[in-house]
Amino acid sequence: MNELIIYQLASVPAIAALGIILGLLFKGIDRVLAARMQARIGPPIRQPFRDLRKLMIKENIVPKNAVRFVFNGMPLLAVAASITILLYVPIAGFLPLMQGYGDLILLLYLLLIPSLALVLGGFASASPYASIGAQREMVSMISYELPLAVAVASIAWLFSRAMPGIASFSLAAIAANPVWELVGPVGFIGLLALFLILLAVMPGEIGVIPFDTAEAETEIASGMLVEYSGRNLALFYLADAVKTVGFASILIAIFLPYGISGTLSLQGANAVAADALFFLLKLFIVVFIGRVLIRVAVPRLRITQVVKAYWGYATIAALCGLSLIALDAILLAGGC
Amino acid sequence: MKAEQVLASFKKRFKLKEARIDNVMHRANRKSAVPRIWIEIGREEFKEAVGHLCELHPMPHFAVASGYQIGEIIELIYHFSLNYGKPQGEICIGIKTKLEKGNASIPTITGLVPGALISEREIQEMLGVKVEGIPDSRRLFLPKNFPKKVYPWRRDETGPNKIVRNMHKGEKK
Amino acid sequence: MSEGKTFKIAVGPVHPALKEPVQLNCEIEGEQVKHVDIELSQVHRSIEWIGTRRNPVQVVFLAEKICGICNICHTLCFCEAVESIAGIEVPARAHYIRTIAAELERIHSHILWAGVAAHELGFDSVMHYTWKLREKVLDTTEYLTGNRIGKAIVTIGGTKRDIEEKQFGKIREACNYYRQNFSRLRDIFLKDPIIKARARDIGILRRDDALSLCAVGPTARASGVKKDVRQDEAYAAYPDLDVKAITPKELLGEIRGDVYDRIAVRLLEVLQSVELIEKCLKQMPEGKIAYESKLAKVLSDVKQLKGEAIGRHEAPRGEVFHYLKMVGEETPYSWKVRAPTYNNILSWIPMLKGAQIADIPIVAASIDPCMSCTNRAAIADGKELGNEKLHRLSVEKTRSLKKGPGSERGNCN
Repeated sequence: MNELIIYQLASVPAIAALGIILGLLFKGIDRVLAARMQARIGPPIRQPFRDLRKLMIKENIVPKNAVRFVFNGMPLLAVAASITILLYVPIAGFLPLMQGYGDLILLLYLLLIPSLALVLGGFASASPYASIGAQREMVSMISYELPLAVAVASIAWLFSRAMPGIASFSLAAIAANPVWELVGPVGFIGLLALFLILLAVMPGEIGVIPFDTAEAETEIASGMLVEYSGRNLALFYLADAVKTVGFASILIAIFLPYGISGTLSLQGANAVAADALFFLLKLFIVVFIGRVLIRVAVPRLRITQVVKAYWGYATIAALCGLSLIALDAILLAGGC
Repeated sequence: MKAEQVLASFKKRFKLKEARIDNVMHRANRKSAVPRIWIEIGREEFKEAVGHLCELHPMPHFAVASGYQIGEIIELIYHFSLNYGKPQGEICIGIKTKLEKGNASIPTITGLVPGALISEREIQEMLGVKVEGIPDSRRLFLPKNFPKKVYPWRRDETGPNKIVRNMHKGEKK
Repeated sequence: MSEGKTFKIAVGPVHPALKEPVQLNCEIEGEQVKHVDIELSQVHRSIEWIGTRRNPVQVVFLAEKICGICNICHTLCFCEAVESIAGIEVPARAHYIRTIAAELERIHSHILWAGVAAHELGFDSVMHYTWKLREKVLDTTEYLTGNRIGKAIVTIGGTKRDIEEKQFGKIREACNYYRQNFSRLRDIFLKDPIIKARARDIGILRRDDALSLCAVGPTARASGVKKDVRQDEAYAAYPDLDVKAITPKELLGEIRGDVYDRIAVRLLEVLQSVELIEKCLKQMPEGKIAYESKLAKVLSDVKQLKGEAIGRHEAPRGEVFHYLKMVGEETPYSWKVRAPTYNNILSWIPMLKGAQIADIPIVAASIDPCMSCTNRAAIADGKELGNEKLHRLSVEKTRSLKKGPGSERGNCN
């Protein structure tokens, strides 16, 4: 038992490092791909690493009227929460490190924390731009949480029904049993709808165009981040990068948990390597759709339009998905 | 309405100190000239003249007010145009007024043409002409810390000469 | 936010949305703009003052520096005014060359603006796309005049350079390029649902307001005022080209006077400019390009003039207006430059009232503000600073920065 705890403790820094490296790497890929789609050359892929290093050696300015400990504490909290997300999701075919200590509900709350940290940091920085940004961030948080919660609850309900006896909110269990195999054709459409909704929630969750109203550069000059500089800004930057990987990994664990080693009939170390590479590919596809593609394809929405999009369209679609899954369950039960 | 008619209607109603039409030929085909009306009117009748313009055309376009100081006199020119929107039919008219330098003031025309506010604020700070009844008398182009009683468009001792440096010549010793 | 509590945010002069020396002080309640105050006194360049200390030939070069984008507009207006006073007859060919240069400038300015508008909406992909399109007109300008932006082609009594028959091909090629890409540009800006949602019924300027606030250019035309100096006064080659003022009615069938309409008007004007250039190339007459090619002779003709005149030109942003008075001295006695934004800033107030914070950037950009800026005197605490003092202060600032809190970290590499 003790050995297990030591093993887990030793793994935490490894996972943190992996999350940071992956997050920054995907940020770099994101920038290059976006640039290419905009007919630009873009920075080298390692640019986010350089940015981070540069920000770390820059002076950290705290505004005169800011609430100092909140202002300085929130970036740390954001990074810590983002990294904690990674401890609860299966990455690269490995089971989550903290398996059994938390489930999907916990993850939903963990996902909230970096945004909340940004909000508090924004309010603490005593700038009107930051206050507007923080208000907007709260509104958009409330907006995207609703379809997200509906989608997650639908999945859990599906599990509790199809496989009674296992912990239905456990991400490891969900990842071990691909959801697509639990439903019939009608439920398949419902699941597809939920998958698309989670992809649509992703830009809101990680704050990119069209849902980056809280940071809107041309409107409120980066909003909550306007007073942040140096190390604090670097930490928020990092939190954003890690959170992107975290959210994408959750999406993969729920909807794309498949490995490739079985198909290629590989064994041992080869299988692990193949699965890890395949996971990276899946991660790339999810980040590409949920972040890169959407942010180059559309302009920014107003905050009222963000609320309308999430509470209106996305929530209705999520409820439709739920109904379809329920209908499917009834059909299947009737068929048996 | 032709330029001559506009001028005639002004001549009929007001005592004009100067009234002329410049025919400007700046077209490639040189078939017709562009008329520019210039009239000079006393300060007392100035606002009435702008009102007359508003009777000729429902909303004359106000371009800008220019002005300069010659000797003891400040001359203001309000540039309007009528009949815009008609191909080759627009008439430009400049209404001049001469003011005494010592106690220069002119009534506001923002009641007739709200868009004149910027020009009025400008001549107030640039020429030191008091605009009576101006809805917003703050400075416009000059910064708040610009010295008082210096009027950049003037050429006398209240002009900007004292605070001008020719930077290429370096600091005054 | 509690009800009735307002706070202030300043947009400009150091704000990502409005990088111009103007400040919009917006009073905000929640997300809504309650009141707007415009503060202009950020920079004063004293261009007119400098102009009254130079002879007219020198002022032509100065006028070109008033605005980077509108470099033809101001020189053209000034030259028109001088030519009116001196009674100089400009050759027909020069009028055509001036017209082509002015229309190239309009294409450049409008496409640049379209990119800025997209950026204000957070649509950077479109910004990069439109600016890619803009390169073609810049290349053409460089091919014709030797410079990408500053054309330096207009002079008193004509033009400095000719556009020769063998150069027509490249201009026609650029025209075709914009014709081909126009439909794509139009689809991006006018059919995209999100741009439509962000621009429709936002920043409305009613026709009455446009008239009473004396708005000019696309800002006025988008509100349904058919006002265009090229049509109304028809100077230069425009009388031969049959220019019609463009309102959104032609494309959209109705006029609302919102941001969307202003986008539509500017896009249509790009196409109109292309057509005008093509017509100019077709009809260009033979002849001289200036009434006098020797600059010394021109100078002696314009030095001792007496009289006053105005020059007008339809710049991309609206009417440019110059007033010039000469009293027989070498230098102008009075020179008043009025750029289109001067007339359009007041229309910000009705546009922004009741708008959301998110709309401020695009509404502010929708009149295409241009506060050109090069300052020749800095004033601090009522005392003016000279060149050397400014330099000394800068050096001191740099040194104090080096000594400051950053330096104990030691490593500055």
